[in-house]
Amino acid sequence: MILLDISTFFGRLHPLVVHLPIGFLVLAALLDWASYWPTYKSVRAAMPLALGAGAASAVVACGLGWLLSTTGDYAPALLDNHKYSGLALAGVAVLLYALTTPAVRAYVALPKKVFSGAFVAVLGLMSYAGHQGGNLTHGSDYLSLSVLTETQRPKPTSLEQVFVFEDVVQPMLTRRCGQCHQDGKLKGKLRMNTHADLLKGGKHGPAIVAGNLTKSELYRRVTLDPAHKEFMPTDGKTALTRNEVALLKWWIEKAAAADNTKLTAVKGSEAVQPMVAGLLGLSGSTDAVVQEAGNDAHPPNPAIPMTGDTARITAARSQGFVIRIMNHKPLMLDVTWPKKTGQPVVDLAVLTPLAKHIIWLNLSDLNLTDSQLKAVTQYSNLEKLRVEKNPISNEFLRSIAGLSYLQALNVYGTHITSAGLPALKDMKRLEKIYAWQTTITASDVQRVFKDSSNVKVIL
Amino acid sequence: MSHHHHDDEFGPRHAWLHTPELAKLNEKLDRRRFLTKTTLGLGALAVGSLWGGRQLFGGVAKAPNELTEDTQEAILKALPHFAPKAKRVVYLFMSGGPSQFETFDYKPKLAAMFGQSLPDSVRKGQRLTGMSANQSSLPIAPSVYNFSQYGKSNTWVSELLPYTAGVVDDLCIIKSLYTEQINHDPAITFFQTGNQLPGRPSIGSWVSYGLGSDNENLPTFISMISKNGNDQPLYSRLWGSGFLPTRYEGVQFRSGKDPVLFLNNPEGYDGTDRQEMLMYLKQLNEMQQSGFGDPEIENRMAQYEMAYRMQTSVPDVMSIAGEPDEVFDLYGPDSRDPGTYAANCLLARKLLQKDVKFVQLYHQGWDQHGGLPGGIKNQCKNIDQATAALVTDLKRTGLLDDTLVIWGGEFGRTVYSQGKLTKDNYGRDHHPRCFTMWMAGAGVKSGITYGETDDFGYNITKNPVHVHDFQATLLHLLGIDHERLTFKSQGRRFRLTDVHGKVVNDILS
Repeated sequence: MILLDISTFFGRLHPLVVHLPIGFLVLAALLDWASYWPTYKSVRAAMPLALGAGAASAVVACGLGWLLSTTGDYAPALLDNHKYSGLALAGVAVLLYALTTPAVRAYVALPKKVFSGAFVAVLGLMSYAGHQGGNLTHGSDYLSLSVLTETQRPKPTSLEQVFVFEDVVQPMLTRRCGQCHQDGKLKGKLRMNTHADLLKGGKHGPAIVAGNLTKSELYRRVTLDPAHKEFMPTDGKTALTRNEVALLKWWIEKAAAADNTKLTAVKGSEAVQPMVAGLLGLSGSTDAVVQEAGNDAHPPNPAIPMTGDTARITAARSQGFVIRIMNHKPLMLDVTWPKKTGQPVVDLAVLTPLAKHIIWLNLSDLNLTDSQLKAVTQYSNLEKLRVEKNPISNEFLRSIAGLSYLQALNVYGTHITSAGLPALKDMKRLEKIYAWQTTITASDVQRVFKDSSNVKVIL
Repeated sequence: MSHHHHDDEFGPRHAWLHTPELAKLNEKLDRRRFLTKTTLGLGALAVGSLWGGRQLFGGVAKAPNELTEDTQEAILKALPHFAPKAKRVVYLFMSGGPSQFETFDYKPKLAAMFGQSLPDSVRKGQRLTGMSANQSSLPIAPSVYNFSQYGKSNTWVSELLPYTAGVVDDLCIIKSLYTEQINHDPAITFFQTGNQLPGRPSIGSWVSYGLGSDNENLPTFISMISKNGNDQPLYSRLWGSGFLPTRYEGVQFRSGKDPVLFLNNPEGYDGTDRQEMLMYLKQLNEMQQSGFGDPEIENRMAQYEMAYRMQTSVPDVMSIAGEPDEVFDLYGPDSRDPGTYAANCLLARKLLQKDVKFVQLYHQGWDQHGGLPGGIKNQCKNIDQATAALVTDLKRTGLLDDTLVIWGGEFGRTVYSQGKLTKDNYGRDHHPRCFTMWMAGAGVKSGITYGETDDFGYNITKNPVHVHDFQATLLHLLGIDHERLTFKSQGRRFRLTDVHGKVVNDILS
């Protein structure tokens, strides 16, 4: 409705216009008081003009302020204090101005010193009304004694001391959301001071639901498209950074939105520890956004060490291995021995120091036998193994049954037979076996893997 | 390449001038460097004074030039941003704009609306192209071809793509692509570089620059154009490196005896001669490099060295002599004819086996403004079997697990007929608002259809995917966060997805 839009627009001019009476009235007071000094005696003549402008703008500001108050969401008590003191100020200013006009002076003539004293009341009223207005905008404790005396929670000096909610999530929420969502302003009737506040919620229900991202209204709002109407923080305030959103997500989902819990006590906190360290300025931080966990069907492998000896990678490369870094932290490698004429037989010994980091391995078409591939069993974090077109047998399949993270195995064009397949049945993460150009048939596959629906054998 | 006119200073007459000190001095006083450093230096002074307070307790303020180089190094060092699913991409680009009505987007309700004018409520005032604007009416043209459901996923595919229908359970068909571009050149440029105006690097160049090569003997980015499709032209800037260093440019392999021109030694000139020549050339280039520091010299040297390695690797990989008959049968009879789409598909598979990171095949001729039924039937016949064969071949060799296969054009086609509509002939104009592509392989869900269009095949009703979203998703599958791979050129940072693009998580497995 047009009427509503006009009142919202003009109401928002209140914070702008309200600075005018402040300036004019202070100037009027200054002009009046300064006139006691001989050098400035003449400026008193200008005082009525300043006073009149101050009075007029105060009245306008009151009107606009009333319009703004209709948009709601202000704590009633605070609002009343501000409203009445503001009205009183406007009234006193008008009264004082009237007392300077010749028409009123004919009836009532206030002594000069009393008039000057009245300005004290004006300034005092203005300070009070102004402070209340500030509280309405920024919260009751924005400019208060508690800011001076506030004892900050001691900052943790190591990751072991960090409490997930108190040291990481709460400061973040206070910084980004506290301005509007606390006593005094209470937008959406949502207070975000304490953990209980978040669970209680406001107009739209609880802000946080432990373990449930989709029901957590807070998370939904901060991950909306920034142009969306309901996106938070609104009104041009700085949005949460990607790291902050990721931490929030992890806290709700994986840490069950718990308070009074240490970071290290939560399972899987390794995933966010680098980020938390970076946020709090502790050692062990990186600039990396926490790695996407992919989907929950493939949670990241915690057994992969974060860092490795890069000198070993260089050594392996100089021997002829092609090593591609798939991920930095944790260090994940894709190792290939390219088939080249005149290339010496591959020697896997140089890879042993990197065993835990080898995630993809390609040793295809190199005329390797089972015994030459013995070292592969050491690569415990292997997810994808390509040994196609080598003269390997079922013995090899038996030897790799212990690679618990293996997802894909390529054995096409090898000497394996269906008798070797049962050895792979217990590998929990195995999803694909490539067995083209072997003696294995579809019915063999059906026979062996009938109940494990996870495994697909591609022939 | 810039032309420096100081050559005579380094000639044999003035050999005594050729001291390291002078070279250094010359470098310092080089026009380019002088202008750069002075202006930047003055600028740095100015900016530094503004930030003076900040540096009070901090370190030494860096000059902007140093910042850029350090930042670029940091950007490259951070890659990959997370573990990739794909390590190779093969992009089958159907140039001209294949009609979605005759391929994947089944619109049965159109049959009852034959000849009816396209309602304004559907067109929503979209500006017509110059070609359609002169038509007196926009009659709806249902497809003359039938659709059936295939595979366990019961996906609708037209009768023109029987082989693709056979592998449909491995595909993720996206029906809700959209773009803003209405004509071929800007549209293809938009797909390849992220902007309709030329000058930016292509996807393959970005990938090559960011992730490097897995096979030093072959180019990281190779493109091939089929000889059995033509019409709308293609440009080498579509696989160009834009403002990235030129060594990341795509190399076009031709069909025929010489896939790469001038790669082979001329008659009577053997390998050792060439090696010696290259060695001296390298020395000359290094002198030039130390004198002028032009980064293009380094790129040129890298290309020479790559070319030398390619002399042995390219004939080997491009030779189809060793392939068994079964493979040629799989890809179809065209695959024995070098230069055809089918032959290129087979070569693509061989290149991917050698870990070439980005292979792009272009097949032109999909721009059926008129005579569509006959035209598209022919187009499909030329690509269907080989495309499906490529997917099958990659799958059975296990490569599909970490290779991403992409099929699609630059825009779709209109539901209304361009030109006269008859019961068995019609044309379709360009249509950017919705079109179909498919992806298969590494990290992409298989056997699904994503996105929907309305009954007129005109507007998207569900899950729109913009070209930038597609590019963001492609980079995501390669382990790159599309917002973090940037390069500074002409004063600001660029990235493939411009300032747009969101990864389409719904199609990722």
